[in-house]
Amino acid sequence: MQLNPSEISDLIKKKIENFDLSSEAHTEGTVVSVSDGIVRVHGLSDAMQGEMLEFPGNTFGMALNLERDSVGVVILGSYQHISEGDTVKCTGRILEVPVGEALLGRVVDALGNPIDGKGAIDTAETSPIEKIAPGVIARQSVDQPVQIGLKSIDAMIPIGRGQRELIIGDRQTGKTAIAVDAIINQKGTGIKCIYVAIGQKRSSIANVVRKLEEHGAMEHTIIVAASASESAAMQFIAPYTGCSMGEFFRDRGEDALIIYDDLTKQAWAYRQVSLLLRRPPGREAYPGDVFYLHSRLLERASRINADEVEKLTGGRVKGKTGSLTALPIIETQGGDVSAFVPTNVISITDGQIFLETSLFNSGIRPAVNAGLSVSRVGGAAQTKIIKKLGGGTRLDLAQYRELAAFAQFASDLDESTRKQIERGRRVTELMKQTQYSPMSVAQMAVSLFAANEGFLDGIEVNKVLDFEAALLSYMKSEHSELMERINATGDFSNEIKQDMQTAIETFIKTHSW
Amino acid sequence: MSELATLARPYAAAVFKRAKETGATEKWSQSLAFMSAVLSNEEISVLLDNPKVSKQDLLVFILDICQGQIDEEGANFLKLLVHNSRLALISTIARLFEAYKADDEGYVDVEVSTAYEFSEEAQLNFAVTLEKALSKKIHMNITLDKSLIGGVLVRAGDKVIDGSIRGQLQHMQKTLQ
Repeated sequence: MQLNPSEISDLIKKKIENFDLSSEAHTEGTVVSVSDGIVRVHGLSDAMQGEMLEFPGNTFGMALNLERDSVGVVILGSYQHISEGDTVKCTGRILEVPVGEALLGRVVDALGNPIDGKGAIDTAETSPIEKIAPGVIARQSVDQPVQIGLKSIDAMIPIGRGQRELIIGDRQTGKTAIAVDAIINQKGTGIKCIYVAIGQKRSSIANVVRKLEEHGAMEHTIIVAASASESAAMQFIAPYTGCSMGEFFRDRGEDALIIYDDLTKQAWAYRQVSLLLRRPPGREAYPGDVFYLHSRLLERASRINADEVEKLTGGRVKGKTGSLTALPIIETQGGDVSAFVPTNVISITDGQIFLETSLFNSGIRPAVNAGLSVSRVGGAAQTKIIKKLGGGTRLDLAQYRELAAFAQFASDLDESTRKQIERGRRVTELMKQTQYSPMSVAQMAVSLFAANEGFLDGIEVNKVLDFEAALLSYMKSEHSELMERINATGDFSNEIKQDMQTAIETFIKTHSW
Repeated sequence: MSELATLARPYAAAVFKRAKETGATEKWSQSLAFMSAVLSNEEISVLLDNPKVSKQDLLVFILDICQGQIDEEGANFLKLLVHNSRLALISTIARLFEAYKADDEGYVDVEVSTAYEFSEEAQLNFAVTLEKALSKKIHMNITLDKSLIGGVLVRAGDKVIDGSIRGQLQHMQKTLQ
């Protein structure tokens, strides 16, 4: 950002004009001990829980333990320059971060400072990172879909606006890939995305940013990064920071999608902070409030009704509901979902997408386990046509799983069983989808329709994806009007059904793949 | 330091209660100040942690020094501290005692730094205003600090009211950053 000298002096002049000259009253304390990012401060008799405290050298900390004679503070950032006897000032504010439209397209740290080298972020508004979730009266049920763009998810585990859907699986099972595809697919839908990277390698974060830029998805995305090299305190607050930024859109009657990648690492960071603050350890050495750590965060993802939006915006936005959809990610160790943090988050969320290493390694990507994955509220939000056509897919796969064990005795099986197995194999194949290629509702509808109506049954299993690709490009070139009609309404009428039927029949007769 | 306060609090509370009962808070305040001054002496503090010096010897030694400065109850208090090996707490106890005393008498000790000497009248006026602002009686201790450039800096316990030019310049520096 280039500024000429007159602009700079104007800026300074404006700041001096607004400068508050009243004498400053605050409470002070002194640093008693510094260890591993935890500082004990003597004094500060009226410090608040979660209050921002100012240390020398423009460093801030957050008061976490209020004890009789001292305050336990985590330093946000580096703490090397803080020593015993330093003065600490109360700021009288709960930790706040900047929020607003200007953050879109930017990469920020857990305090909202830009770290992408694109200059300062011009936001006037700030919001506290810890807020109470909207109440019962303010809420509305989930009834609009968030299209992830992946057949297997949109057809079988639909996600609605305001829902919290967990993505769970071992390392290297494609959890982040689903999240990134979800962000890319929100291009042009008006859904703002926030990707919170917690405890990840900087190289992985850079990769995600680059992929989003390549697919033109950064314009509607904020990235909050607390990488593995940052202090545990920053990793612990990053999800709350991202959530506040998402709530800004929700409270203005817009829709937002937030991805926490991943909450396991946040729980680790919180465990570190808690143990250093000498809070008693519990199961797996996590502190007693690790459930609340995640529940208070995920409760903030919600759909709020038009009245609440009107109230929050002071009447500027009328008749619009707002939503914040959350896709938390949890990494399991060796597929163990009964560990402490996974069970907690499973019970908090409205369903989970379960990814499996074995599926991933056998080439089924996304490696979604259709049997264990559920969406408890998304069904109400699903597009009509996908709901109608996707129901069959779920059933086919469920029956296939039951019979799959017999598949090797194919020659001894009766006709109907053999048919079901063959159908299952083809549907499983059809659910595969490459990364960074999200599909529209119409494209999914055509694929699912072809499977439901048995058009795939005559095709070799390893040709299914080729058939699908050829069919979709044919539909795009020859029946673009039909596709647009499906995308526009999402309805499934007899007329649309008839049109699809004839289109696919013509394609099979006239084309090869 | 905070752990020390936790340990010292019951002693300070007990001493203060006793002092109130006998109406000897001022006397106790003086003896505690004397004791802590004695024990913070470098040569004596070496003795405190010396395993070669027995508790009995230490007690005799300290009582000997404090003779004439403390009464019988004060001596008993010292015996108790030696018996519990808590002599090192004495300065914290004295500090807490002063805090209890100030709280009970309803005043706060206020440190005022000014850039320029206060006139008699200004000082009185200022004291009245401060008492109103803090809603407590104050014991004011004024020091001169040229580095403030102008204005005053008030410290009452951990509360700080910064009305100095230096503070405002620092504040402005932060805003302009």
